Amino acid sequence: MTLSRNTPLAWKNLTHDRRRLAVAIAGIGFAVLLMFTQVGFQNALFDSQVKMIDDLQGEIFVVSRAKYTLAAEKRFPRARLHQVRSCSGVAGAYPLYSELTTSVLRKIKAGLGNRGYPLRSLGYHLGDPIFRDPRVAQQSQRLRAPGTALVDVKSKLKKFDFARQPPHELAHQALELAGKKISLVGNFELGTDFAHDGNLIMSDESFARYFPHRNRFADPLAVVDVGVVHVQPGFSVQQVQQRLVQTLEQDVHVYTRQEFRRAEVQFWDKSTPIGTIFLAGKLIGFVVGMVICYQVIYADIADHMPEFATLKAMGYSTGYFIRLIVVEALLLSLIGFLPGTVVSRVLYALLAEKTGLQMLMNLDSLTFVLLATMAMCIASGLLAVRKLLSADPASLF
Amino acid sequence: MDSQTTVPATSGAFSAGMRLPQTVRVSGLDHFFGEGELRKQALYNNNLDVRRGEIVIMTGPSGSGKTTLLTLIGTLRTVTAGSLQVLGHELCGAERDMIVCLRRELGFIFQAHNLFESLTAFQNVNMAAELAGLDRRVAAARIEALLTRLGLGQRIHYKPQSLSGGQKQRVAIARGLVHKPKLILADEPTAALDEQSGREVVTLFQELAREEGCTIIMVTHDNRILDVADRIVNMVDGHIKSDVAVRETSVICEFLKGFPLFADLTPNTLAEVADQMMVHEAEAGQELIRQGDPGDLFYLIRDGSVDVLVADGATSKKVAELGQGQYFGEAALITDEPRNATIRAREKSVFYALGKEDFRRVLETSATFEEELRQALFRRQ
Repeated sequence: MTLSRNTPLAWKNLTHDRRRLAVAIAGIGFAVLLMFTQVGFQNALFDSQVKMIDDLQGEIFVVSRAKYTLAAEKRFPRARLHQVRSCSGVAGAYPLYSELTTSVLRKIKAGLGNRGYPLRSLGYHLGDPIFRDPRVAQQSQRLRAPGTALVDVKSKLKKFDFARQPPHELAHQALELAGKKISLVGNFELGTDFAHDGNLIMSDESFARYFPHRNRFADPLAVVDVGVVHVQPGFSVQQVQQRLVQTLEQDVHVYTRQEFRRAEVQFWDKSTPIGTIFLAGKLIGFVVGMVICYQVIYADIADHMPEFATLKAMGYSTGYFIRLIVVEALLLSLIGFLPGTVVSRVLYALLAEKTGLQMLMNLDSLTFVLLATMAMCIASGLLAVRKLLSADPASLF
Repeated sequence: MDSQTTVPATSGAFSAGMRLPQTVRVSGLDHFFGEGELRKQALYNNNLDVRRGEIVIMTGPSGSGKTTLLTLIGTLRTVTAGSLQVLGHELCGAERDMIVCLRRELGFIFQAHNLFESLTAFQNVNMAAELAGLDRRVAAARIEALLTRLGLGQRIHYKPQSLSGGQKQRVAIARGLVHKPKLILADEPTAALDEQSGREVVTLFQELAREEGCTIIMVTHDNRILDVADRIVNMVDGHIKSDVAVRETSVICEFLKGFPLFADLTPNTLAEVADQMMVHEAEAGQELIRQGDPGDLFYLIRDGSVDVLVADGATSKKVAELGQGQYFGEAALITDEPRNATIRAREKSVFYALGKEDFRRVLETSATFEEELRQALFRRQ
């Protein structure tokens, strides 16, 4: 007694009343939209948290074991990178320096200091293959002059309104970083996240000049924030990572790109309220969808009680009715999912334009929302099926 | 020889002389509605046998329990007290799965059509065919034939929306019949139909009963179709007040009318006589009456045939052969003399027998009637 071969009662009942079907599609589509919005924002926020990692070259990353997130200012001795270089399979290991709390950028207006805002300053040894953005390498010559930096064009507009100016105008800006004069000689693109409102890139020499106290009583460049490791072609990243873990002291983590990314997302998801907030958002979408779906299925059952009772009298079993409703719920979820996804897609495009966040509808989020939609419809179907099972054929006579 | 049974001739147990298996067997059936203080008895110790191929019409005022009995027989209510067997299955304390299976052998026709608005007439009927596991092509052919038969040939693929009330009811009837159920339970099946289509439906019922051996139990107030009933069960206040095999009774009355002494009896009196007769069965070669014995019964041959033998000294001579509808044994009862011949069954036969006392009483009524009639005619002159 397969439903596919026989009279498609679930489909027929669902599509018979066009108006109810339209309401059902709109309702479930709305729930799908709600969930997609939540998933989209969450992914966008997590993606922007790890945008920095995505923009780095290299296959393996070394960070201090105490560094629980990129924004945490925990460093490891540069000597570890010498050890890394000595390992076989390593093509190169390059230090990346980062400063946030003392890195305050201030605009000087008519000789008076404006209020400054902190942003992330990144320092690197000019010529090191660290950044993926080709503009960094192209403009690295300009960074040779001390007191120069590149600015992130995606820095927060409200705080750093000058960041989007073309390079020749940028040069005329009177700016101070950590109390010292700085001139912006170009720009690059990275983006903001929860912890960072903007970014600067400069040479390690300039970096040491601006932040001399980051390593107390010693060379400010003796401590590294992120070690970027390139693996020689032909070597397995995993094997090299294993070797590094064995070689290095326990004060550092040796991550592959995936692990580094995951650790960062994990922190924002689990250790901050962000994950919970989005979970609540998704749950609300789920519950709204469930209520709508329950209403649709319940109304369909309630309107057909005598007919279902007749089927019962004819000898249709409980199993048939449960299958019928599950199929109906699944059909509802699918026909609600498609328009919901299309609308979400449009909304993603609009939101991406407005917020600058990366709203991507990847396979993971599609699968997640589809499964959630199916689960929500089946759950409400099973709740409503009790009504159907209460149909009493004896009431027909 | 004693093949006399306590089965009354008019019970319908023997139709055309054949003892048919019981499709429904109700014995000592009680039914209650409600719980605790609100508990109310709806059926009181009911007994009813319905045999294969019978068309039973249940009548009675509303609230008399006929619908309750019908739903109990249809497995739609749980049997809690007494015994109810349907198609050989005891329903009292029956398993859920068995009931679901049993329901597939039944055909239901409800007062309301209960068709799915979303399905066409064909698909609605097909819901029943699918459940029976019929081959698709066989099912399709049968559904089309059935709907055409019921005057819906042009509307097979219409949805209920575009059918009239009577047409919808006929689709529902087709749905109840398509899987060739062994037992059909119908509630006012013809109420929504006009004379002609109502007649077509009951003719179809009769065909199913005769050709497929389908048993039909119907609740109806439609007097136009009472004539199709083999048996009419009348219920009052939860009791079966009367249970008459009308078809068999009329057959007996026809036979009795052939007996000259009974020819003048009114149909009512004939029916009463029929009620008093009991069923006798005899194997081939069995003697029913022996010459010289005292006479005690009057026999009507329901099925089979007998030889009439008269003893002539040491040898006996066959003087006649009697068949269906003929009678014997009356002479000894009228004259109070011993039997004047021996009757031997030629084959397995069924007889309806009337006791001597009852026979005499009938004759007296008959005489009174004749006398009264004669006097009445006389006064008119």
